[in-house]
Amino acid sequence: MLNREDWLPLARKLDWEFSYTTEQEVYPEVISGHPWLPHSNWQNWEEAFKTSYREYVQNQHEKDMAVYAVRDAVGRLENVQSLATPWINGLKIHAAALPLAEFTGTIGNLRGARFGRDSAWRAMACFGALDEFRHTQIPLLLMHELVRWNPQFDWAHKFYHTNNWFAIAARHLFDELTLGQNAIEFHIATNVILETGFTNLQFVGLASLAHEAGDYLFEKMVTSIQTDEARHAQIGHSVLAMVMKHDPEYAQYLVDKWFWRNWHMFSILTGVSMDYLTAADQRSGSFKEFMDEWIVDQFFRTLDEFGLKKPWYWDIFLDELEVYHHMIYASAYTYRSTLWFDFVMPSPNDREWLRQKYPKYWDDMEAVWASIGERWKSAEPGPNKEGSTLGTALPAFCELCQLPLCAGTPRNNAANVLSHEGRDYIFCSLPCRWIFLREPERYADHKGLVKRILAEEAPGDFAVLLKDYFQLTPETSGKDVYAGDYDWLSKGPLDATTRRGF
Amino acid sequence: MSLPLYGFMEGDTMGLLIQADEQESVRSLAGKLRDAASLRVDGSYDMDVVYQGIVLDPDSTLAQADFRPLQRFDLRRNHGLSESR
Repeated sequence: MLNREDWLPLARKLDWEFSYTTEQEVYPEVISGHPWLPHSNWQNWEEAFKTSYREYVQNQHEKDMAVYAVRDAVGRLENVQSLATPWINGLKIHAAALPLAEFTGTIGNLRGARFGRDSAWRAMACFGALDEFRHTQIPLLLMHELVRWNPQFDWAHKFYHTNNWFAIAARHLFDELTLGQNAIEFHIATNVILETGFTNLQFVGLASLAHEAGDYLFEKMVTSIQTDEARHAQIGHSVLAMVMKHDPEYAQYLVDKWFWRNWHMFSILTGVSMDYLTAADQRSGSFKEFMDEWIVDQFFRTLDEFGLKKPWYWDIFLDELEVYHHMIYASAYTYRSTLWFDFVMPSPNDREWLRQKYPKYWDDMEAVWASIGERWKSAEPGPNKEGSTLGTALPAFCELCQLPLCAGTPRNNAANVLSHEGRDYIFCSLPCRWIFLREPERYADHKGLVKRILAEEAPGDFAVLLKDYFQLTPETSGKDVYAGDYDWLSKGPLDATTRRGF
Repeated sequence: MSLPLYGFMEGDTMGLLIQADEQESVRSLAGKLRDAASLRVDGSYDMDVVYQGIVLDPDSTLAQADFRPLQRFDLRRNHGLSESR
């Protein structure tokens, strides 16, 4: 049997010249990606981490055993039940958003495994597909136990199969990022932007908060996943280097587009979990501080490494970092019945902490929470109390990212309408509008929730929409975790020190 | 005729779909948005309806103000110039 050093170069470089077909037919640009280059340009493609199948299986087996050991030790139902209620609801967000998104990563990697332009790339993408399948199975396995206790955990599998507004937004992202993407764009968008950047928020930043919150199972799960991501993410760096060499303008476009698209999704997934659903005394930093450390610095290193420029919208991004996920959370809090997890209202102490971390626009956010607090105070006790603190008009959604129109600031919402080929579209921000205009043929025919309702393809009646289209039941629809019963609500706004659940 | 519009109230965190009728008044439209956003925004201030950069007469109809479907309008704090609730 060959030893590793002899076997690996033989196994990972298995390209040959075609005799009865052409390279263009085997690797068409539409699915292999742009720029299309003869294989001679790709033949020196190198991955940073080289592994054989044997090594891969051994390593993954050991990692799985470590996850199971943690599950057996601290993953019992009573362990989860002992966690702070807001944190458990952050867990529900990730339980829903993560597993099947990872499965779409399996599909994307398999496309790279078939249509990547060098055999070493294709071999690594095979391992990437196996990684992503593992990342689908582990959270589904771990969350399954919790479904019997709380039906909201059923959304771990159900989420992407519904037309819940957040599922529409998440599908819109992952359909393009992973499921329907050509190999080059997939590996740059997923490996370089998502996995080298944004998933660090989940797998490093949120993992450290999970440790502080006592959620060792979540911590172990995401750090185990991160070890796979760190390996297969290297594919994208080698791909980006080649695209940068042959079409730098296109490379810049892909980086700019996917940084923005990932930013909006992760500012919700991670920003909300870190700044609102993690107890104040368990936060080691704000979402913005994690972003600065794990995303902005990392992103600048990537830009430097490849000779790329800062995205044109950088000032807009920095401003959104101050306020976007706060606007989303306050909005979603007042529409919590449209989601599958429960919410907590930030206490005066939480709001003071948020003011210190996000001083630029917090006065405007404070006014919003004060108004919501007044509504709780005036709500009549009884079964309709929760309902009286919910919005009833239909929210409007961006026709690019499909998220609520919550960009800009409370004083000056950044939404803008575009007339394009006889149709009107609304976008939450200028970068979303810019992405649409770069590829209108990709996006123009997608109907967001508002247009589905206006076309009578979705129910116009709010209650029917929640039940039939969002697939929520009275048991699963989101609520305030304390039903508005906050001791501090009856006291003055900022001198109250009593907090529920923190 | 039904007129779906995107409404933005100053101080609010989100845009809302407001179902209007082209024969209703600008004042009525403002009331709909004010009510829809009242959970998050103190609606006791005097407000102007702004459409395509112009402050509208509250007594005009949406048809007279040339509203088109799926356009943005804003409810902005009035600093003593026009409409009051």
